[in-house]
Amino acid sequence: MNDLHQDVGAAAFTASHDPARDGAGLLRRIGQGEEDAMASFYREHGRVVFAQVLLVVGERVLAEEIVQDTMLAVWRGAGSFRGESSVRSWVIAIARRQTRDRLRRRRLRVVDDAFLADQPGPGPGPEIMALDRAELAGVKGAIRELAPAHREVLGLTFGSGLSLPEIADVLEIPLGTVKSRLAAARTALNRTLEEKGQNR
Amino acid sequence: MNADTRYPHLDLGDLIAGATGQSVGDRAREHLADCEHCQLEANRWNLVADGVRGLAADAPEAAQPAWAARTRHRGVAPWRRVTLVAASAAAAMVLLGGIGVAAGVVHVHLSGPGARSQPILTAVNGCSEVEQADGTLAHVDGRTLVILTAGGRPVTVTTTPSTFISMSGALLSDITDGASVMVSGNRSGGTVRAAIVTVGQPFGAVNPPGLAPLEGTVSDASTAGFTVLTSTGARLAVTTSGDTLVIVPHASPAQLKAGTRIFALGNAEPDGTLSARAVAAVSQLPPGRHIKVSLKGCSPSSMVYALGTISATPASAR
Repeated sequence: MNDLHQDVGAAAFTASHDPARDGAGLLRRIGQGEEDAMASFYREHGRVVFAQVLLVVGERVLAEEIVQDTMLAVWRGAGSFRGESSVRSWVIAIARRQTRDRLRRRRLRVVDDAFLADQPGPGPGPEIMALDRAELAGVKGAIRELAPAHREVLGLTFGSGLSLPEIADVLEIPLGTVKSRLAAARTALNRTLEEKGQNR
Repeated sequence: MNADTRYPHLDLGDLIAGATGQSVGDRAREHLADCEHCQLEANRWNLVADGVRGLAADAPEAAQPAWAARTRHRGVAPWRRVTLVAASAAAAMVLLGGIGVAAGVVHVHLSGPGARSQPILTAVNGCSEVEQADGTLAHVDGRTLVILTAGGRPVTVTTTPSTFISMSGALLSDITDGASVMVSGNRSGGTVRAAIVTVGQPFGAVNPPGLAPLEGTVSDASTAGFTVLTSTGARLAVTTSGDTLVIVPHASPAQLKAGTRIFALGNAEPDGTLSARAVAAVSQLPPGRHIKVSLKGCSPSSMVYALGTISATPASAR
């Protein structure tokens, strides 16, 4: 039987949502200028934010700069957090805006190709077999080659610890569009694997 | 293939919940136990999830934010200090000599000739623990560089495998088939006339405004140009010339040529040497001009950006 809860490697990336650490209290302390709280915030969220940004931009140095800018925005804007979303989705939304602004200055189309990203792929066909036969290393390589909007939605879904409704808020798109984008991302992944001959 | 007709196939939300370790309902779990179609789908999403997590696990540690080293300071809050530096850097980003490379986090001030009075090592604005050495490469001994300052004084610069070393100039022979490149230039039809070609990562260190960047893999490299194959499968012809500036972000000491301008950032040692964190070998700039580097914080990325900015200094800035 297939175990739906099989979650190999989840601890390597997906962070837990511990209300004691992931709550608004930390942001209140940051808003009051407590540097130790900022350090705690970075320890709690920095790794996940960095991984998500790196997945989208693909360049370590650029990702580091975006995370730095994100943390600066957190330091300056912690007092504005209203608790209308989780802290994790709030900081990831900030990082996404920082990424978009930085890449816009570089004149790179990264997160504005939503139309193409959401186009449904063909139904199950021979290409679906590529994913069925792929190995993890091949899948990782193929994910790197996906369009940024596809990498982004996959990273948010499987790496950020956010729920699908939270991802919809971060991406500022309807929940149904998140799902269609996920499906399109997997179709593109299948196609990439097929083209690369990664199927074993 | 589906033995269970009492319950519809799992929807995407259920499959994603399963792949992310979230709870799913009993009916969904019971359906999955008997449904080969949904088991296949769950396996596929699990593999995608593992791929994303694997990439995250492979990701290097991010550079420590600048504030982390300053948490004992009082007065202006750490991020606000960084902001002040960034703001001043942005305001002063119009560089003398017509250099317009704005990384947004560094300020490189290019002054005119007459730097004879410059000390051997000079302080770097924005990071008190880092000093700068600037001169012409005299010779390389293993990982050690000896450079001569504008005043003719030798400085020993030591490097380690982790030192970021870049080189730039008319290095067209470094553009080879299979190389990953970012091309900045002027596009006309299906051809790009390259102004700057960055060979290898990080591309983010060099970002001249006003030029459309193009990323991809090199094929058909020759002295006149090459073809770029992009991630979308497009192929674009790129032409190069003697004016094309080539930047190699990751170089080894052995690749550096005597007579090249060297800019090194690092820590001053008690014996007067500089233990370099980042080195830029810039063959397109003549001796006699002093470049003063300012950083936003002490992170490795700030130094990489600073030296990337110097590397992108065009020969026309002479």
